[in-house]
Amino acid sequence: MKKANFVVSGAFTLFALAIIFLSRSYPPSNHGVPGPRMFPLIIATLIIISSVVLFINTLRMKPEDDVPVDLTSRNVLNVYITIAGLIVYITLLPLLGFITTTSIMLLLFFKWFSRYAWWKCLLISVLFTVGIWALFSIVLNVPMRYGVLI
Amino acid sequence: MLLSVLSSVFNLKIFFFIILGVFTGISIGALPGLTATMGVALVLPLTFGMDAIPGILLLIGVYVGAIYGGSISAILLRTPGTPAAAATILDGYEFSKRGESGRALGISTVSSFIGGVVSVIALWLISPQLAKLALRFSAPEFFLLAVFGLSIIASISGNSLAKGVLTGGLGISLAFVGIDGITGYPRFTFNNINLLSGVSFIPVMIGLFAMSQAFTTIETIFTPDQVTQKVSNVFPTKADWKVIFKHAPISGVIGTIIGIVPGAGAEIGAFVSYGQAKRMSKHPERFGTGIPEGIAAPEAGNNGVTGGALIPMLTMGVPGDAVAAILIGALTVQGLQPGPMLFAEHPVLVYSIFLGMFVANVAMLVLGLSSLRLFVKVLSVPKSILTPMIFVLCVVGSYAINTSFFDVGVMLFFGVLGYFLQKADASVSPAVLGLILGPMAESNFRRALLMSEGSYGIFLSSPISWIFLILTAITLLGPFVGAYLKKRKAQA
Repeated sequence: MKKANFVVSGAFTLFALAIIFLSRSYPPSNHGVPGPRMFPLIIATLIIISSVVLFINTLRMKPEDDVPVDLTSRNVLNVYITIAGLIVYITLLPLLGFITTTSIMLLLFFKWFSRYAWWKCLLISVLFTVGIWALFSIVLNVPMRYGVLI
Repeated sequence: MLLSVLSSVFNLKIFFFIILGVFTGISIGALPGLTATMGVALVLPLTFGMDAIPGILLLIGVYVGAIYGGSISAILLRTPGTPAAAATILDGYEFSKRGESGRALGISTVSSFIGGVVSVIALWLISPQLAKLALRFSAPEFFLLAVFGLSIIASISGNSLAKGVLTGGLGISLAFVGIDGITGYPRFTFNNINLLSGVSFIPVMIGLFAMSQAFTTIETIFTPDQVTQKVSNVFPTKADWKVIFKHAPISGVIGTIIGIVPGAGAEIGAFVSYGQAKRMSKHPERFGTGIPEGIAAPEAGNNGVTGGALIPMLTMGVPGDAVAAILIGALTVQGLQPGPMLFAEHPVLVYSIFLGMFVANVAMLVLGLSSLRLFVKVLSVPKSILTPMIFVLCVVGSYAINTSFFDVGVMLFFGVLGYFLQKADASVSPAVLGLILGPMAESNFRRALLMSEGSYGIFLSSPISWIFLILTAITLLGPFVGAYLKKRKAQA
């Protein structure tokens, strides 16, 4: 947890510094009425103070409270692969179309996560995809027709 | 108006949506890893094309059902379906070990109903009065109310105050993105047209609550699902009814009060009610060994939170918990602004929500007692199939709000961020509450100073402002004073 806290503290400090840097050109207060940069500066300052407090508290943390955070085990690697798969899916979605992309994505995930036969995975993925498409496209009138395929 | 409210709730279409919501909610709540917040976030996109009353009541049905549904897996599997059911494990699982899971589930069902009904009555009695009071609020009072809400969120968020402030600050910062409402100046838009109208907060919520939770489930996706046991004799015995009637109403009141406090959710309501029942008992040592009080109190307490959380949300636009924050999003999508004017301009809608919430609790009782075996079967749906389906629902749900793929990207980004924040033991709830309360604080702060031509004295000019200032000071300083007094007592 110590390492994770240091990373959180550092990341949020950088985030707050970016807010301060970006808001420096925003119009200032006018006749005592705060301009658009005042609140971002207040919140960025609060974030920096909290990051410093977290950093100091973590330095004082007792060794027995330092629970390691799992970021590299096989189980967590599965999450990273899933995230990568979803990035590919979301990129291809508007290009290829909802039914094609979603059916393939679901088929691959079902096959990876479960022990069902290919045909069962394919059947569930197509049925679920078409069901969701029909619900949003036909019942809820959300435009779901995009991409070169369907 | 009474007739309008009755006719808007007591019709087949609305009943269908309420029952559908409760059924979906119980199923989602029963499944470990799927929380009430996640359920409401996933169902929210379905309401975009609906009228306000059926849409909101569908979501409230999911909320009520999910908070109760969490007890099913808590009792049967020793795994809380939702965090709100964590306290129910302590005694609930002991019943299952004795082969009395049906009895435990019956106590849980009836207690949840009583807790829920108590909270609806409180919602009905308190909200109109509070809304009348809130009508007197002007910009300074709303600013101080938002600050009070933010101070509570920070102080109760998870194990670390600093992390709560950090995620709350992240949420507030997100609300800066877009064209400034007062000067029209674009902030943090990076010349991206998608950011001019700000970050749409529904994809952020779907990402933080649903997608990140699905990622966490992936970590255990190859762990075999637990086997469930058979459930029978769910109707409580005469002795159990006595216990339920003794503890459930009190716990319902406790849950309602906790629900009213911005940021305090059903999990806290359940644990505080459990603690109170233990203190009231002549035999506190029996708690944890499988006694009806140990189920009745937390279950009535967590369902008591449901109505309580809606009180500040409907009357002042301040969410009582993360689900109430999503409901604010649902109302906004319908073109409605939660707050005192909602009571003045849309009284039929407000009272239909009250009545519909009561109907949702009745539906929960009936479904719970009649169809528990069906919900137990839901537990056998493999997560290997369910989790990828949740991915699709998250993607479609975040796309549907503005038919924008940019929003889908936003959802995935916050899903990943939420996953890593949870890994770092940082609660994501303050981020969403900050996203709602931040703009409320900023716009009213600046409006107040415009009214006073820059004089900060305006924030001290009314008794209501003073009340909020004192409450904020107590909230922020209370934990430090308490710790100091405890230390002194220990030294003495």
